[in-house]
Amino acid sequence: MAPVPDPNSVGGGAKRDEATTKIPSKDSKKKDDKKEEDLSEEDLQLKQNLELYVERVQDPNPELQKIALESMRKEIRDSTSSMTSVPKPLKFLRPHYGVLKEFHAKMAESDLKKMLADILSVLALTMSAEGERESLNYRLNGSESDIGSWGHEYVRNLAGEIAKEYTIRQGEESSIEDLMDLVQQIVSFHMKHNAETEAVDLLMDVEDLDLLLEHVDNTNFRRTCNYLTSAAKYLPGPDDMLVLDIAYMIYIKFAEYPNALQIALFLDNMQYVKQVFTSCTDLVKKKQFCYMIARHGMTFELDQEMVANDEDKEALQDIVNNSKLSEGYLTLARDIEVMEAKTPEDIYKAHLLDGRASSGPSVDSARQNLSATFVNAFVNAGFGQDKLMTVPSDSTSGSAGNWLFKNKEHGKTSAVASLGMIQLWDVETGLGHLDKYFHSNDNPVVAGALLGVGIVNCGIKNDCDPAFALLSGYIDNEDSSVRIGAIMGLGIAYAGSQNDQIKIRLSPILNDANAPLDVIAFAALSLGMIYVGSCNEEVAQSIIFALMDRSEAELGEALTRFLPLGLGLLYLGKQESVEATAEVSKTFNEKIRKYCDMTLLSCAYAGTGNVLKVQDLLAQCGEHLVKGDIHQGPAVIGLAMVAMSEELGLDMEIRSLERVLQYGEQNIRRAVPLALGLLCISNPKVTVMDTLSRLSHDTDSEVAMAAIISLGLIGAGTNNARIAGMLRNLSSYYYKDASLLFCVRIAQGFVHMGKGLLTLNPFHSERLLLSPTALAGIVTLLHACLDMKSIILGKYHYVLYFLVLAMQPRMMLTVDQSLKPISVPVRVGQAVDVVGQAGRPKTITGFQTHSTPVLLAAGERAELATEKYIPLSPILEGFVILKENPDYREE
Amino acid sequence: MPTVSVKWQKKVLDGIEIDVSLPPYVFKAQLYDLTGVPPERQKIMVKGGLLKDDGDWAAIGVKDGQKLMMMGTADEIVKAPEKAIVFAEDLPEEALATNLGYSAGLVNLGNTCYMNSTVQCLKSVPELKSALSNYSLAARSNDVDQTSHMLTVATRELFGELDRSVNAVSPSQFWMVLRKKYPQFSQLQNGMHMQQDAEECWTQLLYTLSQSLKAPTSSEGADAVKALFGVNLQSRLHCQESGEESSETESVYSLKCHISHEVNHLHEGLKHGLKGELEKTSPALGRTALYVKESLIDSLPRYLTVQFVRFFWKRESNQKAKILRKVDYPLVLDIFDLCSEDLRKKLEAPRQKLREEEGKKLGLQTSAKSGSKDSDVKMTDAEASANGSGESSTVNPQEGTSSEKETHMTGIYDLVAVLTHKGRSADSGHYVAWVKQESGKWIQYDDDNPSMQREEDITKLSGGGDWHMAYITMYKARFVSM
Repeated sequence: MAPVPDPNSVGGGAKRDEATTKIPSKDSKKKDDKKEEDLSEEDLQLKQNLELYVERVQDPNPELQKIALESMRKEIRDSTSSMTSVPKPLKFLRPHYGVLKEFHAKMAESDLKKMLADILSVLALTMSAEGERESLNYRLNGSESDIGSWGHEYVRNLAGEIAKEYTIRQGEESSIEDLMDLVQQIVSFHMKHNAETEAVDLLMDVEDLDLLLEHVDNTNFRRTCNYLTSAAKYLPGPDDMLVLDIAYMIYIKFAEYPNALQIALFLDNMQYVKQVFTSCTDLVKKKQFCYMIARHGMTFELDQEMVANDEDKEALQDIVNNSKLSEGYLTLARDIEVMEAKTPEDIYKAHLLDGRASSGPSVDSARQNLSATFVNAFVNAGFGQDKLMTVPSDSTSGSAGNWLFKNKEHGKTSAVASLGMIQLWDVETGLGHLDKYFHSNDNPVVAGALLGVGIVNCGIKNDCDPAFALLSGYIDNEDSSVRIGAIMGLGIAYAGSQNDQIKIRLSPILNDANAPLDVIAFAALSLGMIYVGSCNEEVAQSIIFALMDRSEAELGEALTRFLPLGLGLLYLGKQESVEATAEVSKTFNEKIRKYCDMTLLSCAYAGTGNVLKVQDLLAQCGEHLVKGDIHQGPAVIGLAMVAMSEELGLDMEIRSLERVLQYGEQNIRRAVPLALGLLCISNPKVTVMDTLSRLSHDTDSEVAMAAIISLGLIGAGTNNARIAGMLRNLSSYYYKDASLLFCVRIAQGFVHMGKGLLTLNPFHSERLLLSPTALAGIVTLLHACLDMKSIILGKYHYVLYFLVLAMQPRMMLTVDQSLKPISVPVRVGQAVDVVGQAGRPKTITGFQTHSTPVLLAAGERAELATEKYIPLSPILEGFVILKENPDYREE
Repeated sequence: MPTVSVKWQKKVLDGIEIDVSLPPYVFKAQLYDLTGVPPERQKIMVKGGLLKDDGDWAAIGVKDGQKLMMMGTADEIVKAPEKAIVFAEDLPEEALATNLGYSAGLVNLGNTCYMNSTVQCLKSVPELKSALSNYSLAARSNDVDQTSHMLTVATRELFGELDRSVNAVSPSQFWMVLRKKYPQFSQLQNGMHMQQDAEECWTQLLYTLSQSLKAPTSSEGADAVKALFGVNLQSRLHCQESGEESSETESVYSLKCHISHEVNHLHEGLKHGLKGELEKTSPALGRTALYVKESLIDSLPRYLTVQFVRFFWKRESNQKAKILRKVDYPLVLDIFDLCSEDLRKKLEAPRQKLREEEGKKLGLQTSAKSGSKDSDVKMTDAEASANGSGESSTVNPQEGTSSEKETHMTGIYDLVAVLTHKGRSADSGHYVAWVKQESGKWIQYDDDNPSMQREEDITKLSGGGDWHMAYITMYKARFVSM
């Protein structure tokens, strides 16, 4: 036999489709010669047989042909089961590929021709030249027999060729029917053989995911959906929604309602949410759904259709309204034994500073006391007790009165409002504490009481609408600080509620020519919060008009930035919906135009991970500025907002921010720490910590301030000892600079927020869902930090309280079916990405076993360590209802 | 009549009947009975707002079994304290300065860090400050010349200003006078004033002050500066060739720590410095011969100044070169073995007493670390009483004045100020003062920028690298009252 290599393989080396195994065939001639000599007896026999078959196939006698083909097929099939090396029959048939091909072309239509086509299709797996898709061609001309009979590798190769063929045919607009038949077969094969990911990939390539529904079954739908949801993060444009739609439908099909609800929430599709409720019949499960909705921070009204029974409905609505959040949080606090109130001094830990810190000044500093007020508020948030504000006063000049009056003027607003923070989520008690301040004749105190009412109601809904009832009377007060208190309170209490009543009251302020700028700014911000992500036209119009009415001088004010921000919040995460408004913003005065542009862009694509928008924003940062432009700040923050959604993008963003930091101008450098703070919020990554620590000693005090605040943000609610140490050292480093020291104190308050029980991360449910209200709160603070001097260090320090929107207990609390907390053992460990892995891989690593309630740090996941109970939600975060396992036997 | 339940704080008041024919005020009165909250303080939330006293029940539309929410307490309304609280932000600058716990820095007027650091070190001696404050024109003795007088006044003014100010003080007046008195400090190089040797500045300034503060009015006729800083040395001269011996006494303002290859520690350097060889005409031999001079301390100062002889004249490069050798110095210095026999005898009893006291403290408090700190406090106490007894004139504890409980020197000294130099020659580089405050904290005065330092960082200024190294250290005597 002349070892003439196939013309196809001459010259090119043997690079094949990525699915095929590489065959070393450089100077193949030599090797073939050698091999022939090395062959064992058996192989020689096989080779001779095959050569015989090839000859016979070309025999004119159809009988002989058939026998030859069948034996050839048998040889190949017997050996294709493994693909670790090129199967012998394929190897020996290589030289004859060309011959067979030619013969096939000459053959008349017949079953035999099809049979040969089948064999050629398999041979093409290793033989066909790059991009020829011969395997597919022969397959289509073949007998359409069972696709799996040729082995896994063959199917994968075919799938790859189909995807390519599909794109070509799409271009030519020719029919794809024959392809789809094949796709059906392949998908069905993959789905049966634990290769869901490949099936999904193929279907995505041929844009027909609906097919998946027919093929998923009980054993593989979880893995399929898991892959779909994680793939969605990396898909462009509308495709991701489509993928999630399919995932949702699969979950519904298999009655996996909690997951379905998660995706419905991700899609922000009320129809789907309703469908989950109507499809599910189990009341306890519905309670679990309500907990999930409550965590997402969504306002949601149950109706008759979803729950028939009125009593049940009330119970469910109670959960959605978060009225039990405070109770659950305190259960956690008691379990962890952190109920004891902490003073700011407990946080500062000045005694550790070893003579460096100045001993407490003998005279009260208003600035220091204000920071102590904030630290006290954040640290004792939600515990209902502290040592400054709620201490029972023995007389009028008791200590409670005392601390309030240790704050100066507008500081008193923050001091009274801190009561709301301390009583967070506990509306009844909170209102009781705030009541007496309503009757004060000191305007900042009243403003604080109003703001406090808003804070205490944050995330909690109540049928009586106490916040609206109490605050609405002050919206048109003659004192603007009182007005701001009421407006901001409403914004916090009703964030995301899309409450019409409030819109009717607040919208007129925006276009009131007599209203002062700060009132207008806060009204726009509050409306943005209340209608966050709603794309509400009316509100957008009002804010746009308000922006157009501003004079040149007013546009230069620091607070004006809240107007575009309010507008941006309306479109938070809504992508293209922003375009109309973005067009309008091009007509604004040039002083605010770009700022508005950047804010709208970053808000609209927040949490999408859209790479194109990241590039747009980066391009903005690369420009050199005309003096006085301030739009690069929001562009940098926007980078973080867009990229924060998933881990890979996030890491990439951290790296590119490092570049921006090195080459950017001063106003960009000021925003970079804030962007880092947002990216790693409540997630103290060491690298980011180091970068921020370096920046906190920057010669530009604004960079330093932003870095310090961000150190607080990345450590928020973690009690992270390293950050706490850094901040302590900073407090002695900056002890002379009141402004920087104030920032250090605030950051210390953040780090010990809720004594370490809280998180600010707007992402929850294993980082899938983004709570829009939480993000709105954080973004507002960051925008305020872009001009620290005029806002936070000025008299609007209470914008710090916007963070309350993002504050959530980072707990896992298990309750029984009657919602009473029960303690069960759970394993808590670092979450492992198991997407696309075969079998039942471990989902956590390096775990420790605790009993609930437990705290979950960033990137941690919990799993039950007992078989006794079955959780009703696969995501063990927040409140989880446990059902007793009927199959459980005590050992 | 609908029956409603009212939620108030944590309580739920069930089954309250509303008479819809009567105004809501009546309902509030009902609630007053139940809760004790006066009607005008009640805020009752119904759908769409607050319940008004004269509202119409029909319009509100209460249903049977409806839940209402009430807010309100009978708590007293907070009133602002009658006396408004004064905040630091409202205070004038001077008041803030006392708040800070340490005084301001000095502006560098162009290579004047040698002077700034000297001033900061000397300023830390409270006795010097009080002596200066007693100095006035009237007290000026005739043998003090005009420029010395001006320098003394300028020093007084500068010390005062430093204590009053929060922000850095510009010592321009002082500098002008200093240059007038000592023209060598006005040397120019490239049109700029040259960096000078801080030790020279220190010595000259102290000399001037000692001249002008000689206090002719004081009965003792004592020299305040000498009393504070002066060290009496008893030297024995011995000529080996002739066997002649003579002794002499001299008074110096500082001890020298000579740095040679064997010296690793301040104590060794001091010993080295007290022993020297000199050539002198020997009356016996009738020619110059080599004498060995051995000095011992005869009287102890309140403030012991030690100068590290780090600079020497390098002939080949024509400049004052610096010895970078690391010489450790302690926070607590005991110079007992450098003292003369007489002095040693005097010191023995106080030292014994001090040991006892310390032993007692250590016995009571097991934490060994607190030992030195406690004695610091003790010392300031002792001093306060000493100062209290002899307010007008500076007390010289050696001579033991009228106080009931006499305080005695112990030969033990605590480090209070370090003047460091960074750089390779005396006429270049940078001088910085590190001063211990009364509160026990160390402040680094780097020209106009004072900053807190940790005590352990102070001992790290011992040299051996290019970091700041001690050039002049000042120790304060530890007393014991008996």
